[in-house]
Amino acid sequence: MANTVISQGITIEGELTTDDDVVIEGTLRGKLVSKDTVKVETGAVIEADITASSLSVGGQITGNVTASDRVDLMPGARLIGDVKASRLTIADGASFKGNVDMDV
Amino acid sequence: MADVTVIGQGIFLRGSIKGDGDVEIRGRIEGDVEVAGEVTIGEGALVKADVTARRITVRGAVAGNLTGEDGVRLEEGARVVGDLRGAGIGIAEGALLRGNVQTGTGGESRGRARQQAAPARAPARVERVEPRKAPALVPKGTAGRKAAAAEERPAPPPPVVPVLKKGSRAALRKRSR
Repeated sequence: MANTVISQGITIEGELTTDDDVVIEGTLRGKLVSKDTVKVETGAVIEADITASSLSVGGQITGNVTASDRVDLMPGARLIGDVKASRLTIADGASFKGNVDMDV
Repeated sequence: MADVTVIGQGIFLRGSIKGDGDVEIRGRIEGDVEVAGEVTIGEGALVKADVTARRITVRGAVAGNLTGEDGVRLEEGARVVGDLRGAGIGIAEGALLRGNVQTGTGGESRGRARQQAAPARAPARVERVEPRKAPALVPKGTAGRKAAAAEERPAPPPPVVPVLKKGSRAALRKRSR
């Protein structure tokens, strides 16, 4: 089980900082900084900039995303914002609007 | 499990947590926690926030008021600085508390009233607090100092002019004598 879970029905507003992995099923507004994996599950709503080592998105994100390792947009994911990561995958069925910077 | 929100050990949250469902806090939070379900503040947690929930269980450190509609429980190892309010309050041996405690149906009905009339009550509280703080702050606070300073600053010029006038008058008198 993940170290930190923000479940459905919960809204967090503010700045969340952690060294560990985070799973979000609820709502987050503000900023999220993690040194580990961040998982945005289907149904989650994020209005925040996210920094993580790797990020997988099944839900909805409005904000800029930075990952030191990788960003994966799953089917059904919706991302409005810029992505900065060395690896990025966008699955069929994911929607995305923004710039990509892959340290070319 | 899916309904429980966990704020893990390594987490630092500056902001608020709101919503339904249960919350388990093991990390650090500065802000407010307002949840319809149960809140568990685990060992090693550091919460600087007012916590409002149906039921609150504390094993960690809290600086803030705890309001549990059904109850508040301080387990062994709990360190709380703040007020407790709830229908039933339990404090186990080994728990430390500094603050007010209010138990019983009064707390419960107030909790219910607050939930029902939250928007009406919140401003009412602010109105109550402000008049108390305002008079206390004016003499002590920086606003009071500024006001005093503002009074002092314009004050000197009028004396200066009369003093000169008086002085000059006195000098004139001396000369005339």
